[in-house]
Amino acid sequence: MTGFADGSPAGIAATWVSAAVTIAVWSYFVGGGRVFRLAQYLLAGLATGYLVLLGVREVLIPQLVSPLVDDPAQPLLWVALVFVAIVIAVRWLPDSVVALPVALLVAATAAFALGGAVVGTVLPQVGAGMIAPTETPIGLGSGLLAMLITVLVVVGFVHGTRTGRLGSSAAVAGRWLLLGGIGGWLGFLLVSRLALLVDRMHFLLGDWLGLVR
Amino acid sequence: MIETRSRIRLRRWRPRGLAWSIVLLAALAVGVLVGGSVSNQLRLENPDRSRVSELRAVLGRLPDRPLVLVGMDGDLGTYPEIRPALRAVLADLLAHDARIAMVSFTPEGRALAAAEVARLADDGVAADRLLDYGYVAGAEAGLVLAVTDLPSPPRPDNPVGRAVLADGDGIAAFDIAVVVGGIDFGPRGWVEQVATRLPSLPLIAVAPTFAQPELAPYLRTGQLDALLATVRDDAAYAQDVALREGTSDRTGQSPAAMLVGMLVALGVIGRAYVYGGPPEADAAIDEEDAA
Repeated sequence: MTGFADGSPAGIAATWVSAAVTIAVWSYFVGGGRVFRLAQYLLAGLATGYLVLLGVREVLIPQLVSPLVDDPAQPLLWVALVFVAIVIAVRWLPDSVVALPVALLVAATAAFALGGAVVGTVLPQVGAGMIAPTETPIGLGSGLLAMLITVLVVVGFVHGTRTGRLGSSAAVAGRWLLLGGIGGWLGFLLVSRLALLVDRMHFLLGDWLGLVR
Repeated sequence: MIETRSRIRLRRWRPRGLAWSIVLLAALAVGVLVGGSVSNQLRLENPDRSRVSELRAVLGRLPDRPLVLVGMDGDLGTYPEIRPALRAVLADLLAHDARIAMVSFTPEGRALAAAEVARLADDGVAADRLLDYGYVAGAEAGLVLAVTDLPSPPRPDNPVGRAVLADGDGIAAFDIAVVVGGIDFGPRGWVEQVATRLPSLPLIAVAPTFAQPELAPYLRTGQLDALLATVRDDAAYAQDVALREGTSDRTGQSPAAMLVGMLVALGVIGRAYVYGGPPEADAAIDEEDAA
């Protein structure tokens, strides 16, 4: 049970609409292209409307408009308002004007993402991957195996250089290891997607038709 | 070319790509319908309870009436998979007398948070134990800002909001953070932006199965304190909570349906191996046969 729709008239209506849209999407399997496209347009329209509503109600009004109305002497907010106006009017303004807020947006996003990735992921994971002399035999073996696999996969990416017979064999082994890793990840993805499909089937047979609890 | 008898037999039974999809749906329907009657023979729960133990250990270290921040950034496409696990975590926290606040850094997460807050309120969770901070724009930049400054709560008189204000006005005021991940945003962003600034804040992650390879290394380095990121671990934890509460299991997934789905998937892979292509290649094969 999803637990989102109760037994009230609104809940029952929501369950029926959800079931109808689910079946509309699945109609693609039996050639129901038009019904499927209708469901696609419905999703796109609802998503766009929701994003606009969220942006206006939870970002622009409480964080930009209301503070400016309460206290207009906030220069940074006026700058932000100008940037918002530029982004809205991007179609009619020259590139040189639009470039500034877009560049600021991209640069800030990249700076946070890159800084966080280096400090929060790369350095701690490299540190954890180091083989300490005090490791147990199992830990030492795992570390050496990880190092060997890493080297082979990196060698697998080396193209266009003369590497000799040993290097070629290592590159082939590296590519197979890479394929094995991708296969394992696809296995995780399959389980994830299958769980979603089973959930939807459970919704139709349980929440909608009431055949299972 | 001389074909073996088994290969010829396989060629005769060769449903098209769409037919495979219908076979899958029908098989899943049967799996869901018979799931209850084979529940004693098929179990989804992971017998290795180490992830459950880690999570229970983290919750056991919390103070009385802990302040919990749920970073709700799941997405509509993957949330049904982790919904049972998250609800089990919320039930477990509420059993620990926790006060729960939700915040979202993605639009889809915001929709899910609103739905879950409404569901908790409908289930009778007192309003003075729940707070919805809403949506914080800016993704990672917003997350960094939230470390020291969360947005003003919609109801200033809410006791959870007042408790947060008394201890500071950001994520630092909370005793623990439960991070719900999706495709775009989730535990990795929290580890990189929040854990580096608040290393003493315990982080629990609930994420879809496909995120497991990305998130498991953070568990090993201690950057995440507990992680639920596989269907089987989710089921094991949900069962554990249900047993403690004496309620019905919240796993939500039918093991029979999962098994049937896996068998169909193996059938598709095996078929692709035999014929050297996906089922969609049937039309081309038919043309070859006709020629």
